[in-house]
Amino acid sequence: MASHYEAPIRKPLVLGDKGYHDVSVDIAAPVERRANKQWWIVFSIALAAFLWGIGCIVYTISTGIGTWGLNKTVGWAWDITNFVWWVGIGHAGTLISAVLLLFRQKWRMAINRSAEAMTIFSVIQAGLFPIIHMGRPWLGYWVLPIPNQFGSLWVNFNSPLLWDVFAISTYLSVSLVFWWTGLLPDFAMIRDRAVKPFQKKIYSLVSFGWTGRAKDWQRFEEVSLVLAGLATPLVLSVHTIVSFDFATSVIPGWHTTIFPPYFVAGAIFSGFAMVQTLLIIMRKVCRLEAYITVQHIELMNIVIMITGSIVGCAYITELFIAWYSGVEYEQYAFLNRATGPYWWSYLLMMSCNVLSPQIMWFKKIRTSIVVSFIISIVVNIGMWFERFVIIVTSLHRDYLPSSWTMFSPTFVDIGIFIGTIGFFFTLFLLYARTFPVIAQAEVKSILKSSGERYKKLRDAGQPLYQINKGANVTSSVTEAESTTDDDTGTEKVSSLLDTLGSFDATKETADDLKKVKGIGPQMEQTLNQIGIFTFAQVSRMTEKEYNLLDEITGSFPGRAQRDDWAGQANRLNNKD
Amino acid sequence: MNNLSKIGFVFGLVVMLASCKSDNAPNYQYFPDMYEPVGYETYGKVSFLPDGMAAMQPAENTIPRGFMPNSIPNDLEGRELARLQPSPLDSLQSEANLATGKELYDIYCAICHGNQGNGQGNLVKREKILGVPSYDDAARNITVGSTYHVIYYGLNSMGSYAGQLNHDERWQVSEYVMKLKEDLTK
Repeated sequence: MASHYEAPIRKPLVLGDKGYHDVSVDIAAPVERRANKQWWIVFSIALAAFLWGIGCIVYTISTGIGTWGLNKTVGWAWDITNFVWWVGIGHAGTLISAVLLLFRQKWRMAINRSAEAMTIFSVIQAGLFPIIHMGRPWLGYWVLPIPNQFGSLWVNFNSPLLWDVFAISTYLSVSLVFWWTGLLPDFAMIRDRAVKPFQKKIYSLVSFGWTGRAKDWQRFEEVSLVLAGLATPLVLSVHTIVSFDFATSVIPGWHTTIFPPYFVAGAIFSGFAMVQTLLIIMRKVCRLEAYITVQHIELMNIVIMITGSIVGCAYITELFIAWYSGVEYEQYAFLNRATGPYWWSYLLMMSCNVLSPQIMWFKKIRTSIVVSFIISIVVNIGMWFERFVIIVTSLHRDYLPSSWTMFSPTFVDIGIFIGTIGFFFTLFLLYARTFPVIAQAEVKSILKSSGERYKKLRDAGQPLYQINKGANVTSSVTEAESTTDDDTGTEKVSSLLDTLGSFDATKETADDLKKVKGIGPQMEQTLNQIGIFTFAQVSRMTEKEYNLLDEITGSFPGRAQRDDWAGQANRLNNKD
Repeated sequence: MNNLSKIGFVFGLVVMLASCKSDNAPNYQYFPDMYEPVGYETYGKVSFLPDGMAAMQPAENTIPRGFMPNSIPNDLEGRELARLQPSPLDSLQSEANLATGKELYDIYCAICHGNQGNGQGNLVKREKILGVPSYDDAARNITVGSTYHVIYYGLNSMGSYAGQLNHDERWQVSEYVMKLKEDLTK
């Protein structure tokens, strides 16, 4: 395959001996599998946190903002801290899906879907705060310039808080459209694989009748590119506008021109850290190690390192300018950050944001999954404190010493934050079970250029595929008819029975295997021929056994795994 | 067609919702945060005061700043005394005083006394009330001071207008009444 040249220095992005079908199976597996116990446990915890948060929100809105730890001097604290934090986290998703698309980064294919999901879910969390921190949230619609009966009373377009409204709502809607457009081919894939009518119906609805014609694909690519081109300035402007909430003020420590790029860098920094946290878990839980490889983690770590350094530069710039400015208020603001009553938050922010990403310079560390995971969490803690430090330390001591005060949050402040974390994970966990978490269409588009299997074939000078006419069809039929006669067949059967355990007709009674969904009379007969008679045997099947079984029977490949025969049999076995 | 029926359905819902408003009762309000007063409105109802009214009578014999009580009593002697009282208004401003007096007269007095002061007001013409004298009635021989006294206390069928007109306004009306009397006797 000389037609394609790829530099040999590039490492494969899809590991293992994966073909197109394997990609579909691997990505559809979490959707088609049933949720396991761990998922339910984690989901319940997230849901409980979410419900607790709802309780706190209802309490705040019905009782008043006074339930929070805010005071007359510090009017913004946890609410806006969390808002900016969540918005910042959301930025990585768009960055991965849009900016990396513009830069033709192939490694984004495996992570963009989840990163965008993370964007959507965290922007939803962020969107809560501007509403619930209002004194009268039921009049929140007044921020919209709607013709009305107050003599068409309008909003003032000079406030960055109003720009926030437009920025966040536009950002959420564009991200949502971008995300959903990318999901269409993947939903269609799940739709076409769906066995149960309900799933089929649902995925038919959400895939909008995607048929994957050449014209569709051509337009799909164009739309993706246009949306990526739109989303890139959007992602930069949204956090810029969020930074204007502070930068346009007159508060020493807020009034800075460095905020827009510095906030955006911080957003990418914290966003990538969150993607890192989620994907390191997801690749394990959803068994996607072949797609989200150590190389992906390393590349994300490099982005974290770079943006962390940018943020570090910004911190130093701020300090320099404060000294250089000769403005006593400005100088005191930074002195107060470093040595005032909130010195610990400043120290946490500095150590988490400036120092911790610097260890990524060591290849050993940035390719270590455990360290990456820890650092990703540390970075998000640091970035939370960055927003806290900027907001609270600038407010609690400014121009008039008679207005100096302290801030401490109440349980409601904290409860709402925990609630948003719970809500985020509730959404993300539901997403991970119902959405194709990797853009299979995109992964398939890089499979032959960046897949390990094809790279090896290319290196060996072999063709990337071979056509063997009808071989599959005939062999499967003959195999199904004469499984036990076949030499290789008997070998496989014996290795299968080794793990499943053989059936002793004198001691045990055969179960009605037809009770397992997916096993019909025909399949039961086949299984009996192999020597599988009981639920206990079926329940011991794992992926390896499924594959063996598929090879032996040759019919309905992947069916057993999809229907989770082992799980079903296990339940049936326990029932007896 | 399907879309049209949907739009029709939504429109119907809006119309139905709009019909919930009744003209016989105050309309529905959306979060009436500061619609009801926390303080006491002048004519408001309060439960804790004797008459349930926020407006209470001031204590007897008290004088508010910028106010002088009428020293002439409301009896025959007082009326005679008042007859000699001159107008305290600035005579140089009489033009303006008369203009204001005319406005006030047309509002409060002309309904019975008539615009010319001849006792032929609308209510008299329609025979709702009778016995309103003309200002040029020689037997009555009104002066500016006696007019003020009558406005202040009322006389016979006429009630007091002290609640409607303040001190200056009463004198302005009185001066205008004297002008009407002049015009009638001419």
